[in-house]
Parts: sequence; C-alpha cells; structure tokens
Amino acid sequence: MLFSSITFLYYFIPALIIFYFASPKRFKNCTLLLFSLFFYAWGEPKYLIFMLVSITQGYIFGILIEKYRKRKRAKVFLTASVLFSLLLLGYCKYVDFFISSFNAVTGLSVPLLRITLPIGISFYTFQILSYTVDVYRGNAPAQRNYINLAAYISMFPQLIAGPIVRYSDIAKQLDNRTHSIDDAALGIRRFVVGLSKKILIANILGELVDIFKSSDEKSVLFFWVYSAAYTLHIYFDFSGYSDMAIGLGRILGFHFSENFDYPYISTSITEFWRRWHISLGTWFRDYLYIPLGGNRVSKPRWFLNIFIVWMATGLWHGAAWNFVLWGIMFAVFLIIEKLWLLSLLKKSKVLSHIYVLFLVMISFVIFDASSISDAFSCIMSMFGSSGIPVVTFESIYYLKSYAITLIIAVICATPIPKRFAHTIQKNKWGVIAANIAEPIAVTMLLAVCTAFLIDGSFNPFLYFRF
Amino acid sequence: MSTKLKNTVLVIMTALFLFGFSFCSILMPDHSESVSERRPLAKFPTVSKESVISGRFMTDFEKYTLDQFPMRDKFREVKSATALYVLGQKDNNGLYIRDGYASKLEPKMDVASVEHAASRFKFVYDRYIADKGMNVYLSVIPDKNYFMARGSAYPSMDYNKLFSAFRDKMHFAKYIDISHLLELSDYYRTDTHWRQEKILDVAGYIASEMGIDLSAEYTASRVDTPFYGVYYGQSALPLPADEMFYLENDILDACKVYDFESGSYIPMYDLAKTQGNDPYEMFLSGPKSLLTIENQQSSTDKELIVFRDSFGSTIAPLFCEAYSKVTLVDIRYISPVMLDRFISFDGSNNTDVLFLYSTSVLNNSVTIK
Repeated sequence: MLFSSITFLYYFIPALIIFYFASPKRFKNCTLLLFSLFFYAWGEPKYLIFMLVSITQGYIFGILIEKYRKRKRAKVFLTASVLFSLLLLGYCKYVDFFISSFNAVTGLSVPLLRITLPIGISFYTFQILSYTVDVYRGNAPAQRNYINLAAYISMFPQLIAGPIVRYSDIAKQLDNRTHSIDDAALGIRRFVVGLSKKILIANILGELVDIFKSSDEKSVLFFWVYSAAYTLHIYFDFSGYSDMAIGLGRILGFHFSENFDYPYISTSITEFWRRWHISLGTWFRDYLYIPLGGNRVSKPRWFLNIFIVWMATGLWHGAAWNFVLWGIMFAVFLIIEKLWLLSLLKKSKVLSHIYVLFLVMISFVIFDASSISDAFSCIMSMFGSSGIPVVTFESIYYLKSYAITLIIAVICATPIPKRFAHTIQKNKWGVIAANIAEPIAVTMLLAVCTAFLIDGSFNPFLYFRF
Repeated sequence: MSTKLKNTVLVIMTALFLFGFSFCSILMPDHSESVSERRPLAKFPTVSKESVISGRFMTDFEKYTLDQFPMRDKFREVKSATALYVLGQKDNNGLYIRDGYASKLEPKMDVASVEHAASRFKFVYDRYIADKGMNVYLSVIPDKNYFMARGSAYPSMDYNKLFSAFRDKMHFAKYIDISHLLELSDYYRTDTHWRQEKILDVAGYIASEMGIDLSAEYTASRVDTPFYGVYYGQSALPLPADEMFYLENDILDACKVYDFESGSYIPMYDLAKTQGNDPYEMFLSGPKSLLTIENQQSSTDKELIVFRDSFGSTIAPLFCEAYSKVTLVDIRYISPVMLDRFISFDGSNNTDVLFLYSTSVLNNSVTIK
C-alpha cells in the first residue's frame, strides 16, 4: 500500500486512528503490529512470510545473544543472525544479478530465478541487523516481547521507504510513549507536507521524466531538463516519504530521526552525504565502515574501506551495475575531497555549489539508467555528442509547461521556505497570522493532494471519436 | 490564536476532512458510469481466496476507491485548475485550452497508424473498387490542433506530412484538399467534431471536385439542450457549453435512413440522443457500421459510398441532394471482408466512392479493421 493512495488515506488511516487510540496502552503495539502486517500484506501477501521469519530469527537470536553476552556463543549467534538476514536479502534481491553477471563473464546461460523483490526487504533487513548488532554490542537490551519487536521491525510508517530506524533509538518508546494533540498536529503537518512533496512535486516531475523518456525528439536541452527534473524528482519523492513516515510516527507517539537535511545546498560531496538519506549513511558508517577500521588504518586500507562501503551503498539501492558505478563514483569523489579538494572548495561557495549539483545530477542520470551503456549515452547526449539538436520545439514546450513546478521544487529544496516561516514568526502579528493560516493551508493541501490522486484514475474512453 | 489552539484546530479540521470523506466513501451509493469520461466506473471487487492471495482484489479495490470517491468530478476540477492555473502547465492530461477551445495534444504523426489506415483503405479498394469504373476520392479532415497549435507554443504533428502520406499511399483516389476551407470556428469549442451548419462550403467543394453541384438551401435548427462535448468532461474545467444546430430542408425530410445493424429505418437527426452522454450522436444516431440514406426525391440514379468516421455523420446528409443513395460505411465497426454481403459494388461510373477521415482517427487507427 502506498501512502499516496486513496486506500491508505481514506480507509487505512481512519481505521488505524480509531483502533489505535481506542486500544488500551498495553495493546497499542499489538494494534500497530496488526495494522502494519495488514499494510504489508495489502501489497505483498505472499512475502509476509519472509518478514515474519526474519522477525522471528531476530527475536530468538537477540535473546540468545544477550544471554551469552561477552561469551563466544554470542558471536556465533550474531553471525548466524547476520548471515540469515544477508542470505535472505541476497537471495531475494541479488541472486539474479549475480547469475546474469556470471553468465556475462563466462558466456554460460545459467537460467535466472526471476524472483520478485519483496517490498521493504532492504529496510527491514537493515533494521533487524541493527537490532542484533546493538544487542551484541550492549547498546540495547534484547526485546523479550515478540509483539514489541515485531511492531518495531514491521512498523508501517517506515517499512517500505525508511528512514531506517535503529532499535536503540526507539527501544524506550516501544515500551513507553506519550500521545498528545501537539504531537498529533506536528505529525499531521509533517505528513501533509511530505504527501504534497510526493504528489505535487515529485509525481509531476516524474511525468516530465516519463515524457522525456518516451520522446523521440530529444535535444541537448531536453537531456538537461530531464537530468534536473529527475534530480529534483528523486529528492522530493524520497524525502516526501521520509516526511510522511516521520509525521505518522509522531502521531503514533514515536520520534524518528531526520533523514534529509536540504542535501542540494551542500558545498561538497562529503557534506551532501551527511544530508542525503542520513539514516542509511549513518547505518553504513556504524555497522560497516567503522567495523572495517574506518580511517584509523593505513591510507590504502582506508581508501579500500571507502570503496567497500560505497559499493555496498550502491548495491543496496539496486541490483545492477549502474548502481555499483553510482556508488564507486561517490567513493572516488569522497577520496579526492579528503585528499585535497575539500580545502579548495572552501575558497568559492558558488563554484562548490555548482560542483556538487553537477556531480549529483550526473550521478542520478547513472542511477536512473537502465544500464551502464545507457548512462554513458545519456551523459554524452547532455554534452551534445550524439548529434542531436540543441533544442527542439517539443523540449521548449515541456520546459515552459513544467517551469513553475521546477522553480517551486528548486526553492523548496532549499531552507528558504523554512527561514521565511521563522521570519514571520518573529513578529507577534506574524505568529497570529501563521497560526490561523496553518490549519487552513494543511487542509487545503490535503484536498489538492486528494484531487491529484483522484485524477490519477482519469481514463477516458479511448474510442470517444466514435 | 495560541499554538495550543492552532494545533487543536489543525487536528480537528484534518480529521473532519479525512473521516468525513472516508465515511462518505463507505456510505454513499456507488455510481455506475462517469458521464465526463464516458466510461463505466469500477465496482466493488469480488472477494475470494484466490483474488486476495494473488493481490488482484487489492488492485481492483484501489481502482474502486478512486472511481467511487465522493465528489470525484469536483476533485478532478480542482486538479485541472491547479495544474493549469497554479502550476502553469500548458496542458492537463494532454488536454489544452486556447481561445476558449479545448483540444487534445497530438504532437506526433504515428507512422504505423497511418500505414495501417492506408493499407486497410487499399484493401477495400483492391477487393471491391479497382477496375469497376467507379470514381474514387479521398479527403482528410484536419482536427482542431491544425488550427489551434499553429503559431502557438503547443506541439502538433506535421499535418502536411500526414496529408502527403495519404496522397502517396492512396494514389488510386483523387485527393480533395479541404484544409483551406476550414477554420477553428467551424468546430465545437468543447468537442472534437466540426459543426454541421459551418461546413456547407466544405460539402460544396468536395461535391464540385466529384463533378457534382450542390445548390440546396437549408434551415439551421437549434438544439435546446446545451452541448457539452467530449473535451468538456475530460478537461474537467468549467467551459461554457456549445450551441448545437442541425440543417433541415425538404429533401432531407423526405430521405430515409436505413440502419443495417438494427434492420430498421432510423431518423436522420435523433433529437432524443441530445439528452444522452454524447449529444453529437444525434447525427445519424452516432456510431453505426453501415447506413444508407435513400433520397426519395432524387432525379438521378447516381450513388455515393462514403468510407467515414464520425465526422461523416454531419456532412453526409449534405450530399444527399445529388445522389439517389448515399451509403455510409465505418470499417471500425464492420470488417471490410463482409462488405459485399450488404453493399453492391457493381461497378459503374454512376457510383462515386469517397474516403473521408479525420486526422485524429487516421493517427489513431488501431480500431480500423
């Protein structure tokens, strides 16, 4: 089930709110678990079993690890749990990637398994890994209540698109959390903002991306418009989902960490990755980079660690070589920055912004490509090397048609709206005006988002020209 | 207003909105059809073990909730207005409005579609018409984009390329160019079609190119019902209705229209259909595979066979004065293989054959059999 769907907004959410807030405190996690399982099963009934098995192994190994903490067996149980999680993820997500790569190298034709990727498996696997490792490290106690652990891992707000919530961050909230009108209002506002980012910006820019892809009158300008539109689309799509997750969590009494912090205002790739998908970046830092030795090793080993982490980051995003290339590209620039570029970038803010935006746009072209050759062909076309015209009538039309959305997206990708809101609230009358406007604006945004969702069903009778 | 009060108001307002529409969705009776989109709406899906496990029930339920949402058309209006007037998009779902006229973008000539249409026309010619001494004509009706996109930012197909393609592929027919006779005001504002009362000159020109002289005079009668064309519903914008007229005279009054599908005579203008979903269907009763218009007052034995789409429904009556019989064939609804069961292609220079199609059908010709 998608957050941006009528079913979720007008059926699932009202039912959840009624049952959740009607439940006594001790049954709230149980209610949350049941709704989360229903949420997951709605889209993937077949794969519910994978998630339940994963939760169960995490629960059992968590208790065993705690029982034998600081003894050799704890490491054995941790290894078993980690292997189980990674093998399941590997089977579901990567087995066909490895088979096709093996076939390409050897010339053999081992048949692909064609496994459909269970939704959210990358997210819940990482949450289970963080749970068992945290228990092993003594950062969190093992959860003795199966329902509480299952409610954490399967929690629907962050199940399908993150953020990756660490067990240690919400262990206490699972047992004891409070609910209030203020939290509910903050949560609703955050959710509606996220929904608007997804529906009113990301989806519209997604349309532009689709138009570009289906166009047979491409131009250099159109390639750049596509690149900019996709870069903004992916940010608003992903950060919109994170906002919705954080908002829903807040309504239910959970405080999730931020996942995005205006990444496109970064002045270096190092800073970009501190602001982009923060929960994934910190996860890899704490559970892979630091265990590998981090930067407290020899220089060659340090660079190797960076390459390993970024190849893994690339592969986490998708089982294809263009994602690996995408990860390696960031590894290379992060190493270059650490060696000498960071100090140079500090000299010119404008140039450093251009540098980051250019690299990020190129990186997302690679990310969105169907293959590495497709990525290179697209990048070459951006620089006019494939003999296409600089502009076409069609590219001008679509640029004009989506110009306002692109401008809104650019502004909203910066802290300007946030600063504007803060400025208004410095004045007494501004506070009053903002307090009156906010409920109206939130409700109107919800109505407009609903209108866009409903129009998604627009499907005129094709043979109307009888 | 304090922050506490603001938060309370926010929670109440959004809860009322969500729960209000939620309860309405559940409690209000379902609609069977969308008038604006001219299609049936999704019904509550059947629940079965198989449909739930396969996920089909969930997919169908999502469609159902979208189709049956309360005030669905109003929400579509909000979306259209937001897209066009707030976000400044030039079109909404491919529909655009210029100078009060609504149309659908048709930015590219579909080569495969053009070839398909031309090959089907060639099939008809080879099978029934070639070497029979009949006079064969072809005319292509430009759609509204031909006029609306000209000199604007809207992309449109290369119409001259499409006209040339048919000229080249249908060399067996004399091409009658009517594009210079038409202008935007000859079409309905909210519909794809041309207006019957505005195409007398086009009918006269086509007839003269076929060696026929049209001289009859007509009275334009106004339909009382406001006409909201196909683009009205699709654009989901509050466009003003069109006025609809139909042409009458004694000759047309005396003509008899035979419908092969029902095996009965039907009215030339069925005014009851102006109350239906598509009032344009009043002309020769809308989509019909095979009709003949018999001119009771004809002083000639000349006949005309028109292979046509819906645009032909309005112009065909205007040819009646010069023919004893006008046969209208729509090979989207009847296979051309079956035509000789109903039409006599005897072959004589007393029969004219006209292929008359709009660019919108030729560029989307998948329905041509």
